[in-house]
Amino acid sequence: MDAMAAVKQTFFQECEEQLAELETGLLAMERGEAESDTVNAVFRAVHSIKGGAGAFSLGDLVQFAHVFETTLDHVRNGALEPTADVMAVMLRAADLLADLVAAARDGHAVDSGRSEVLVAELTALSPGGADASAEEEDDMSDFSFTPVSVAFDFSDTPAVAGRSYTITFKPRPELYAKGNETALVLRELERLGQLETSCDASGLPQLAELDPEGAYLEWTMRLTTEKGEDAIREVFEFVEWDSSLTIQASDADGDADSGAGSTEDAFAALLRSIQADETSLPATTADIIPLPLAEEREAVAEIDAQPAKAVAARNGEGGANANAGAPQTIRADLERVDRLIDLVGELVINQAMLSQRVMEAGHVPGSAVALGLDELEHLTREIQDCVMAIRAQAVKSVFQRIPRLVREVAGMTGKQVRLITDGEGTEVDKTVIDRLNDPLTHMIRNAIDHGLEKPEVRVAAGKPAEGVVRLSAMHRSGRIVIEVADDGAGINRSRVKAIAAEKGLIAADAVLSDEEIDNLIFLPGFSTASEVSNISGRGVGMDVVKRSIQSLGGRLSITSRPGKGSTFTMSLPLTLAVLDGMVVTVADQTLVVPLTAIIETLQPKAADVHGLGGGARVIAIRDTFTPLIDVGRELGFRTTATDPLAAVAILVETEGGRRSALLVDTIQGQRQVVIKSLESNYRHVPGIAAATILGDGRVALIIDVDTVIANSQSDATILEPVLAAAG
Amino acid sequence: MTPDPSQRILELAAVLDLRAAAPLTESLLAMRGTALTIDASRVERIGGQCLQVLLSAQQTWSADETALSFTNLTPGFVEGLRLLGFSQADFTREEMPE
Repeated sequence: MDAMAAVKQTFFQECEEQLAELETGLLAMERGEAESDTVNAVFRAVHSIKGGAGAFSLGDLVQFAHVFETTLDHVRNGALEPTADVMAVMLRAADLLADLVAAARDGHAVDSGRSEVLVAELTALSPGGADASAEEEDDMSDFSFTPVSVAFDFSDTPAVAGRSYTITFKPRPELYAKGNETALVLRELERLGQLETSCDASGLPQLAELDPEGAYLEWTMRLTTEKGEDAIREVFEFVEWDSSLTIQASDADGDADSGAGSTEDAFAALLRSIQADETSLPATTADIIPLPLAEEREAVAEIDAQPAKAVAARNGEGGANANAGAPQTIRADLERVDRLIDLVGELVINQAMLSQRVMEAGHVPGSAVALGLDELEHLTREIQDCVMAIRAQAVKSVFQRIPRLVREVAGMTGKQVRLITDGEGTEVDKTVIDRLNDPLTHMIRNAIDHGLEKPEVRVAAGKPAEGVVRLSAMHRSGRIVIEVADDGAGINRSRVKAIAAEKGLIAADAVLSDEEIDNLIFLPGFSTASEVSNISGRGVGMDVVKRSIQSLGGRLSITSRPGKGSTFTMSLPLTLAVLDGMVVTVADQTLVVPLTAIIETLQPKAADVHGLGGGARVIAIRDTFTPLIDVGRELGFRTTATDPLAAVAILVETEGGRRSALLVDTIQGQRQVVIKSLESNYRHVPGIAAATILGDGRVALIIDVDTVIANSQSDATILEPVLAAAG
Repeated sequence: MTPDPSQRILELAAVLDLRAAAPLTESLLAMRGTALTIDASRVERIGGQCLQVLLSAQQTWSADETALSFTNLTPGFVEGLRLLGFSQADFTREEMPE
């Protein structure tokens, strides 16, 4: 990837963050929790996207962001009240902004009609209506003149008081080539306070030698303003890197920009001097600089943020990023973190091997060597936890996309939906986060499209017209549990059953429990919508959702109460890098059974084990018969059946709550293992989820409990009716 | 104010932005050596590069000792000049001797 592409990628990453900020802030405003900080943060998010987009000449994005920003500015100034109607437009504008960012990133187009409609809506919100804002909109695509009296209309700066700055500004041809315009910049500058401009045309050649698209003029401005240097720099932010710019405070009395200003100045001056030395560099090289600088500025502002309010007052809108105590972050390449995790995994394995060797060498527990090793083990675990924590991310990043989805689906289905989210701060490994979006999206769609009733139906049923979808995340016994609950009609079991029978998924006269019926919707090929809607029915059924969650080592279950609604619960491992497992022996092979699937272990008694013919056996555990699965035979380690009496049965539970007993030879113990992918190192093996390396250096396979059970049952489907009868 | 009929007249475009700079330069160069009146009656806005061209033309005509004047300055033109650090007088003083 060339440098420019890398910078662009960073820009889009930052856009994602800004869009998330934007959504969060707008939602807070919608709830009426808007403080000035929130409004500032929202404004800044849009402004930053506009700034970056300007640097990459992303015209559509800049134009829309500008209109959006203008409207937000009115809210910020108190000229526009953030009513529910206003916020609805703002939220849709945020959606469009996200689409424009995606379009710019992926190089496809966004329906311009949609953009026009929103631009019109946004401008209509502006005080003074469409006329006042039409000019605002216009000046990004081109530039126009505004009578001076109007130019000051929105300005909240008294023209005289404040500090004086001397600004010199010499555009380079690239500035114009990128569609920027000095006149516009100067007009923006004029809004900050009282401006005197003089132009030095001494470098101008005679007409015959003049390059019409060159840049020969240099401007010197004296600006008296109450705003700080940050506000001035902001005016130049699109053009700073295509010009020579100096900003100097003329008087020494102001203490406004002491710390942050000077650090930033020094940094900016350094960059400028580097740039001045390398003016021959292509324009794209110069473009690389602004983004890091923008970050640097924020970091400086954060460090300097005490007290936050004072900074907010000094920096104007810049204060929004000055939340005291905001954690500082760095952006790290994920590959590096993954490499670190890999290495720590190796370290854990290596440490386990070393321990084993030491014990084998005859060092007794309690000896100096053994004690040292214990300490090493302790440290290793700690390092591992810390490294895992680096990859941990709050589910917020996924949850943040949901409000938009809810708005869209609600709009398409004509349903009124309120989304309540809970536990956004719950952390889970990034790999899990990345793969959470699709299943969650589908579950939310499903909850609104199939779960919630239409408003009139709800009212008739004595419910509020507005349905509630509750999305929550929590940690529960070492896993993350995400619930999508709706207060809709619940699963129509007779209909589900009829459809399943009609599609041949169950026998027409099958006797099923409520729970079993509910779980039918997870069967492949099941769809309750009589006509496939374009919302839920995109060819993705709940079976696909379930499978994708299973592939993450997760489970998906459903509970439903007629008239009260349904709750889908997915439970996922916190990480895909380590696993708590029970190490067992089967036919001299060491295997690992994930601990999360295990309910109990037991020693089978002769009286409890019953043969069913065809090699199938069940074991009576308390009052129920449970299929007994011979793991050694199932995985092909041996061909003869194991004697259950000489073996151990591990009672495990699958997603649907179905239980089976896995028959293994012996149990070695319980330990945390580092997961090594078989797919990436070898190939997929049915019944095996992954592998790990044990302390003795041997590879142990991790059993995929669900697949093993599913395979054994497809071998012996005959079991079902027998068991139903027995149960 | 009626321009002298012997003078040539150049009517400026309405929008004097980046795209207008090259054609404007060409038009001006084509009229070099003749007394010229530049009619700004249609101008809605002017940007930095067209300003450069007009300033350079002033210099060039002055060096050639040929008359160059501006006429019908619109509010948009004047406002653009003001923003860019010039006044109406900077563009009308040439008319004085005429």
